[in-house]
Amino acid sequence: MNVLEVEGLCKAYPGFHLQSVSFSVAPGSIMGFIGRNGAGKTTTLKSLLHLVHPDAGAIRFFGLDLEAHEGEIKQRIGYAGGAVDFYRRKPIRALAEVTRSFYPNWDEAAYRRYMDAFSLDEGKTPAQLSEGMRVKLSLALAMSHRAELLILDEPTSGLDPVSREELLDAFTFLRSRGVAILFSTHITSDLEKCADHISYISGGRLLASEGMQAFLARCAREGMGETLEEIMVHCEKESLYDKLAE
Amino acid sequence: MTNLLNKEFKLAASPLSWFFLAAAGLTLVPGYPILMSAFFVCLGIFFSFQNAREANDVLYTVLLPLPKRAFVRAKFAFTCFFQLLGFVLMAGLTALRMTALSGGSAYAANALMNATPLFLAFVLLIFTAFNVLFLGGFFRTAYKLGMPFLAFAVAAALLLICGEALHFIPALRFFNEPAGARLGLQFALLGIAAAGYALGTALSCRVCMARFERIDL
Repeated sequence: MNVLEVEGLCKAYPGFHLQSVSFSVAPGSIMGFIGRNGAGKTTTLKSLLHLVHPDAGAIRFFGLDLEAHEGEIKQRIGYAGGAVDFYRRKPIRALAEVTRSFYPNWDEAAYRRYMDAFSLDEGKTPAQLSEGMRVKLSLALAMSHRAELLILDEPTSGLDPVSREELLDAFTFLRSRGVAILFSTHITSDLEKCADHISYISGGRLLASEGMQAFLARCAREGMGETLEEIMVHCEKESLYDKLAE
Repeated sequence: MTNLLNKEFKLAASPLSWFFLAAAGLTLVPGYPILMSAFFVCLGIFFSFQNAREANDVLYTVLLPLPKRAFVRAKFAFTCFFQLLGFVLMAGLTALRMTALSGGSAYAANALMNATPLFLAFVLLIFTAFNVLFLGGFFRTAYKLGMPFLAFAVAAALLLICGEALHFIPALRFFNEPAGARLGLQFALLGIAAAGYALGTALSCRVCMARFERIDL
């Protein structure tokens, strides 16, 4: 059974329309979710977390419908959406204490390991941390309750190259433990190092959702490029010069 | 719910919510519109909502492993906790004014509302207005606080004027007796106000849960 199944997800905003997005994430796999800014990645991820109400479509985690089993599902998933952007003036210790009280499966040893690995000091407040360190705090909180699926929105943005490499190691380690990861980013080189599957969204439409190697091979055959970056540029690039000259 | 309420007190609550509970002490002040104490208790709660909004509390809470509607229930429980604490303090001070302090000349000559069961009924009406107008307005967007609080402030001012004006009607002068008069009637009105508070708050909570479900965050 897939840990996540999305079928026909639609959401209309003025000027933007998410059109029938469907994909699934298998247990113990890393799914890269790519697309340029404004393509619909965040709208899709927010729909998965019930932050946005889709106009149509079905979302099932672990075979359970999201609306009917929201609390139970959120116990089994973790989310990090970039840097911690809440309670920035509260000590991390207080934030962690409150957060852990909601998770019966909270793994204190794992939390301590992540805090040490990321060199995070519980006595500090998020406001005292750099953007990159707040991303790490967000990840430490998301990964400490034995989640079976991690949903990560641009988790490597703002991180230095060494931290990004360390984080990708952490993802590979979690995958070896059976954790699935849905990982949205436009830093495509990160995905080439760890992703098993790729879902590519453009202008609100899902262009592809398949195995990483199969996707790269198909695109290479069709002359779209050898790497994710080349493929994205091939598919998306419009001449800004021509647009400005119009 | 216990965890969520604990989160409200540890992270979201402003110290001003506790500070403004002291406004219940205004119940003892003669020559002062004592219904303002109910307004100040609500103002203190408003500061916690403002504090929570600035801290991006909605996003943090909605990502916790709970249904979205639990967030609304917790905010209502938090609000009712402060309101009922304020009410208990005001009720205690009202009892003190009606008994041990009822002979005080300042209360006998008080041109404004004396502390009686009718005063407590008006306190509950002001609290109901807060739960319906402020909370109901806030959960339309989950971030706009100004207009909902203004709507509540206008309603609270009207209720205050109404409460203060009643005993100037000759037939209703008895409402302002320092030791209380026609207490059976006054307690009946207090009971009706309590029922109105419970019903208004419960209905507002249901409406807010439905509104919050529809909001895109």
